[in-house]
Amino acid sequence: MLGYIIRRLFVAVIVIIGVAAITFAILHYLSPTPAYIVLGSKASKLAVAIWDRQHGYNRSELAQFISYLGNIVHGNFGFSYKNNQSVTALFQEDGPISAYLSGAALVLSLIIAIPLGVAQAVKRNSPGDYAATAINFTLYSMPSFFLGLILIQIFALDLNIFPPGVSDDVTTIGAAITHPNQLFLPIITLTLLNVASYSRYMRSSTLDELAQDYIRLARAKGLSERVVLSRHLFRNASLSMITLVGLSIPYLVAGNLLIEVLFNINGLGLLFYNAIGNEDYNVMLAYTLLGALLTVLGNLFADVAIATADPRVRLD
Amino acid sequence: MTDPRNITPEQRIEEIGPQALSVPASLGGLRPAPEGGEVHFTQSGWRLMVREYASNRLAVFALGLLIAIILFCFLGPVFYHSNQTLADPLSANLGPGQTPLTGGASHLLGTDENGLDEFGRLMVGGQSALEIGAFASLVAILIGTLYGAVSGLIGGFVDGIMMRFVDVLLSIPYLLIVLVLATKYNGTVLDLSLVLGVFSWLIPARLVRGEVLTLRTRDFVVAAQTMGASRWRLIYRHLIPNAMSVTIVNVTFLVADSIIYLAVLGFLGLGLQFPDTSWGDMLGNALQYVLAGQWWLVYPVGGMLVAVVLCCNVIGDALRDAVDVRLRRR
Repeated sequence: MLGYIIRRLFVAVIVIIGVAAITFAILHYLSPTPAYIVLGSKASKLAVAIWDRQHGYNRSELAQFISYLGNIVHGNFGFSYKNNQSVTALFQEDGPISAYLSGAALVLSLIIAIPLGVAQAVKRNSPGDYAATAINFTLYSMPSFFLGLILIQIFALDLNIFPPGVSDDVTTIGAAITHPNQLFLPIITLTLLNVASYSRYMRSSTLDELAQDYIRLARAKGLSERVVLSRHLFRNASLSMITLVGLSIPYLVAGNLLIEVLFNINGLGLLFYNAIGNEDYNVMLAYTLLGALLTVLGNLFADVAIATADPRVRLD
Repeated sequence: MTDPRNITPEQRIEEIGPQALSVPASLGGLRPAPEGGEVHFTQSGWRLMVREYASNRLAVFALGLLIAIILFCFLGPVFYHSNQTLADPLSANLGPGQTPLTGGASHLLGTDENGLDEFGRLMVGGQSALEIGAFASLVAILIGTLYGAVSGLIGGFVDGIMMRFVDVLLSIPYLLIVLVLATKYNGTVLDLSLVLGVFSWLIPARLVRGEVLTLRTRDFVVAAQTMGASRWRLIYRHLIPNAMSVTIVNVTFLVADSIIYLAVLGFLGLGLQFPDTSWGDMLGNALQYVLAGQWWLVYPVGGMLVAVVLCCNVIGDALRDAVDVRLRRR
């Protein structure tokens, strides 16, 4: 197991370097130097050339990339000239609120989706199952910001229970916990979107398990339906969720982006969105790398966790 | 009496009896199926697929609705004339049925902030959304099919390298890379289609490669190889047509995803140039519209968008089931 993890981590490093190379190449092609952002768009060619020379942007792309990789190893992700701060500091500042948003939505959606999926499978083809499937399918086909808009319309404007946006002073987890109503709508939006895909998987994996012999045996020996479902079926059917959660970790990052823009939450997604407008490409590069890192680690987590939870799965 | 060539095998049996299936002795002779044995008729896999699809009422409905929306967007402007090119500030932000200050007829779905008729805008925006969705998936499927077929057919070391490259690209979150590209390439239908298509060929490439790996050991491919068919001929004449069913299923999901991501780009302000528009661009200021109570600028276009994506997803699911039926016969 340990050997397997080490080998996978080794592959992960290669993948991350590959992602860094591709993203670096694209960003460099789109905007070769941040000089015009620092010096203004009307800067003279000479001033730009001098600035490039001072900051190493006159070197070959390969040399720049290698020194970028070297800096990453030391935890230095470059400088955001627009925010006048190091990218690492920006991420430390904005990261926690994004993580809180994703984490809360993930936990909530599992709490809702697992029982919902089981209930749908047990009462399959009932009106309730059809209704839940129809709602899930619709949510699944919706851009996340549109769902957010609908929720703003209902809960903020029509019912006036929650604020339509998040106020600027909610930037830390502490503030988020003491003002739970501020982040309620964004979290619910993300949760509903997750539930739409999770409960579909939970429903189908429960259906698979219901057809197994051990369920028939449990019923045949006279166990009550409640015990069959909660003690026998539930644990086996939930195994597929482990993989799904691992694979959906990177989508949480991307999903956050739109929600943070819509609700004006000062997280990593909004940081990336502002970086796009400002050609702040050290921020873009770092956020993309974070996404890639989460993808790779999410895959690894899914494989290791499923092997730990399910003795039938062996890693080698 | 109908033309004997047009009757189905079932009808032939009813007319002629079990001998209908036997081959005349002059052609080598073949006995009819033994008594009590079940007789299966060979039918084209595609026809089975169509029949399976048609038995799914929801999927047929989704297909009908999708066609209706396509007709609405592309033929609608022929019947419903409206100003879609010149900004008209005097009639901006009118509600449905509200008459402009300058006089004239009211608008069915009101007007947007440029004073353009919203109902007509739905059609124009739908045209570009559907075009970009279709074109982006076409780009993705072309690259993906070719890449997957080449990778699977060559196999070995080259295949390994080509697939690791796909793995690396798949590790980049799609939304982020699309946003980065869209900062420079937006404004036209072609730009946005390429931006959306150029990174979504990865899943089709994997699927096609998997298909090719199983196909290339099959007798007809081996036979073609022994007859001296070139690699290129193998790919376009034998492998791609047989992997087609898998790709067709994927296309519907690709169209759905492309339309969603196009909407996301529009929402973030990276869409088409005015007066061109897509459904996503129309939702660019949606938050302000919602807060200002201008529902007609948000929910009709959002509803159309969700309906199209939903139809594509339902069609894709049904096609996948139908393809399973086809593949089971292999």
